[in-house]
Amino acid sequence: MSRTYLKMELFHYFKMASGMKVLIVFFMLMSMGVLAPVAAQTGDAEAGAEVYARRCTWCHGEYGDALTDAAERLNPPPRDFTFAQYKIKSTAFDNYFPNDDDLFRMIRDGMPGTAMPGWADVLSDREIRNLVAYIKTFAGLEEEEPGPSMDYGKQIASSAESIEQGKRLFHEDERCVECHGREGKGDAVKGLKDDVGFRTWPRNLTKPWAFRASNDPKDIFTRISTGIPGTQMPAFADPASDKKLTIEERWHVANYVNSLAKTQEVVKPENTVVKAEKVDGDVPDTVDDPRWERTESSTFFLVSQIVGEERFFTPSNDTITARALYSDVDIAILLEWDDRTKSIPGDETAEKISDPEIAEDGVAIQLPVKIPEGTEKPYFGMGDATYPVNVWHWQSGTTDEPQSVSLMNAKGFADIERRDAEKSAISAHGIYRNGTWRVLVKRPLSAADKEKDIELIEGKAIPIAFAAWDGSNSEKGSRHTMTTWYWILLKPGVGARPIISAAFAGFLVFGVLLWWQRTASTKRA
Amino acid sequence: MIKIPRLLQAVLVVAFIYVAFIVVFDVVLGQVIPASLLTMYMFFVIAGVFMVFTFTEESARELAAPIKALVEDPRKKAIRNVVFAALPLAAAAFTYYNMLPSYQAPVELRSIHPAPPSTVKAFGKRYDLSTLENPFRKYEKEDPEKFEQLVKEGGNIYVGNCQYCHGDKLDGKGPFAQGLNPIPLNFQDIGTIAQLQESFLFWRIATGGPGLPEEATPWLSSMPVWQNFLTEDEIWKVILYLYDYTGHRPRSWAQAHE
Repeated sequence: MSRTYLKMELFHYFKMASGMKVLIVFFMLMSMGVLAPVAAQTGDAEAGAEVYARRCTWCHGEYGDALTDAAERLNPPPRDFTFAQYKIKSTAFDNYFPNDDDLFRMIRDGMPGTAMPGWADVLSDREIRNLVAYIKTFAGLEEEEPGPSMDYGKQIASSAESIEQGKRLFHEDERCVECHGREGKGDAVKGLKDDVGFRTWPRNLTKPWAFRASNDPKDIFTRISTGIPGTQMPAFADPASDKKLTIEERWHVANYVNSLAKTQEVVKPENTVVKAEKVDGDVPDTVDDPRWERTESSTFFLVSQIVGEERFFTPSNDTITARALYSDVDIAILLEWDDRTKSIPGDETAEKISDPEIAEDGVAIQLPVKIPEGTEKPYFGMGDATYPVNVWHWQSGTTDEPQSVSLMNAKGFADIERRDAEKSAISAHGIYRNGTWRVLVKRPLSAADKEKDIELIEGKAIPIAFAAWDGSNSEKGSRHTMTTWYWILLKPGVGARPIISAAFAGFLVFGVLLWWQRTASTKRA
Repeated sequence: MIKIPRLLQAVLVVAFIYVAFIVVFDVVLGQVIPASLLTMYMFFVIAGVFMVFTFTEESARELAAPIKALVEDPRKKAIRNVVFAALPLAAAAFTYYNMLPSYQAPVELRSIHPAPPSTVKAFGKRYDLSTLENPFRKYEKEDPEKFEQLVKEGGNIYVGNCQYCHGDKLDGKGPFAQGLNPIPLNFQDIGTIAQLQESFLFWRIATGGPGLPEEATPWLSSMPVWQNFLTEDEIWKVILYLYDYTGHRPRSWAQAHE
C-alpha cells in the first residue's frame, strides 16, 4: 500500500461516517491480503485508489459521495458512487448494477454533455480497470458478481419501415412522447427529479452529441431496455410495465430515435458567418415565412456567462441557429434554439415545471455601434469604454405582459444605457412550438440615431454575438448563455465585374494561342 | 514496349507525387495538409520535375515536342481546335470564380503568448513581473506537507472555476471550450506553462482577457478577469496546482542562468 494513500486514509479516518469506516477497514484488510483478493482481471483497487486520489477526487470527493465544492457548480452533478447507480448499464433490466465493462466505458469515453471527460488519452486500460475496481468499493460492490448482459436478440437494421414502426411505438399511448416531446426535443410537460432530488431533464433526442453514451442504435436499445437507473426513464424491457416493448419493438424505437438526429442545425466550427441573402420586396414578417426554409443557417454553441458578475455555471440551452434576409430597407434575423420549457411567469403549468423563481425566456443580439474598420472590436462581453455595443433583447413575456423587445447601448457590464427600441424601429416576435423557440428580429438597415445605432452596410463583415435565457433554469439578468463574436454579412450582389473580367481573360488567352499558331505556321512557310 | 512521351511522363510524375501527398497525410496519417501549404509544396515539385526533364537540350526539346506539334502540325488540327476552345474557357471560368465576392470571415491574427509588460496593476497594487514570485513555492522544499495542502486547495479552486474551459485534464478541452474562440489554453502542452514563469501566469490570470496587450486581441479572449473573483493567494495556489498536475516546472531566472 502506497504511503500517500495510507496517509490519506488515516488522515480522514476519524472524520468519517461509521458506515464508511467499516468499508474502509474492510478495504484495507482486503488490500493487505487478509481477505481474498478480487479476481485478477477485474483490476487492482489499491492501485486504482492512487489514480482516484489524483484524478477524480476533485469532483467525486475522497469518499466517492460527490459532496464537493465543484459539485455545486456542475449540471448535471458528478456521480455519487456510494449509490452505485449509473446511467450506462448493459446488464439485464432487473439487475441493479452495471457490469465492469459499463463502468470501464464511462471512464474511458467520458459522459458527453457533462463535465466528465473521457480519460483514454491519460489513463491506460489497466489503470481504468483499477479505477473500476476502486470505485466499486465505495458502494461495497467489490464482491458483487457481474450480472448477466441483457438480451439483444437479433439487431434489426435501420430502414424506412423500421423507423416508421419505431415512430408509431414512440407516440403510441404517449409512451415516449410524455417526456421526450412530440418531436423528441425533451420538452417536458412535468418537472422530473432523480432519486436523490436533483432536477433531471429528458434527453433532447435531436441532439445526439449530448447523449451520454452515443446515438448508435445498440446504445439506444440498451437505454430503452434497462432505463436510466435513478431517473424516471423506465426500463421498457420490464414485463411488468404497461408500456413494455418486445426486443423487436425496442430495435424499431432505437432506429427511430437514431433517425431524429439533427443534420441541418448543427455546429460547423468552420462556419463563423451568418450569411444574409438579399430578397426582392420586403423581408419576412413571420417566423413561418417559407423563404426561411430556403435560407442558409449558421449554428453556434452557447456558453455560460462566466466573465461578468454574477457568473452562471449550469446552463440548459446549448446551441443557437441564425438565419438572415435583407431588402433595400430592412434586415430580418431569425433565431432558433431548442428550449425544453416555455417560461411564462404567472402561467401555472410553466411554473410547475420551472426551477423556483421562474423568469422570462429571452434572446439577444449584440452588434458594435460602429462597424470596426481595423481588427479591433468591442470587448465581446457587452463592449468597452472605447467601443460601445447595441444589444437588441427580446423577452417572452408573462401572463400579464406581452412579448417585448428592448434596446441597450453598453460600454461594458456596468455601463448600460437603456433606450427605446421602438424609436430605433426594432421589432421582434417569437413563437414556441414543440420545444423550439423561433424569434424574428427586424430593423431598418439605416440607423435611426447615427451616433448610437449601428448602420448595417452591405458587403461588410459585421461582428455579431448572441445570448439566450432559459427562464425555467433560473436564468435572468447576467445568468445566461452566450456566444463569443461571430460575423454577419449582408451578401452583396454579384454585379457585372466577374463576368466582364472572365470574358476578358478568355479572349486574352485565345488571342495569345492564335498568335502563337500564326507565327508558327508563318515560320514553317 | 510502349514509350510514354516525355511530356506525359512529367505530368504523371507530378500527379503521382500529388496523390502520394494526399494519401500519406490526409488518409494514412489523418493530418490534412492545409491547401496553402500543399500549393507551396506542389510549386517546388513542379519546378523540380521541370528542371529534371529539361536537363539536357535534347530532353528539353523532347519534352516540348508534343506541344510544338500541337501548334504546328497540320495533321493535329482537330485536337488543336479542342485545346484552343478549352483553354480560354478554363481561363474565363477561373477568373469568374475568383472574382465572385467572398463570404468568408476576415482573417484575424493574434499573438497567443504576448510579451508581458514589465509591471502589472492588479488588486489595487503594482507588481514588478521581473521580481514577482509565487509566495508559496518555497514550501515545496521547506514544508512538503503544507505544500501538498496548498496544491490541493489550488485544485479545488481550479475545478470550481477553471475546468469549465481548461478541462479536468488541463488539456484545454473543458465542457465550454468548444464554444470559445480563441480556444482555451492547453496546459499539458509543452509549449504553454512549461515555457513561462509563474509571474507571467499571475499576470494572465489576474487581469484576464481584457488585460492582454493589443496584439493578442483582448476583445476576443473569454478569459475572465480573475482579480474580480479570486484573491491573490487563491491565484498563486491555482498556479501551484497547474504545475503539480501537469508535472511541468515553471521557468525561473535561476534556471535561465544555468
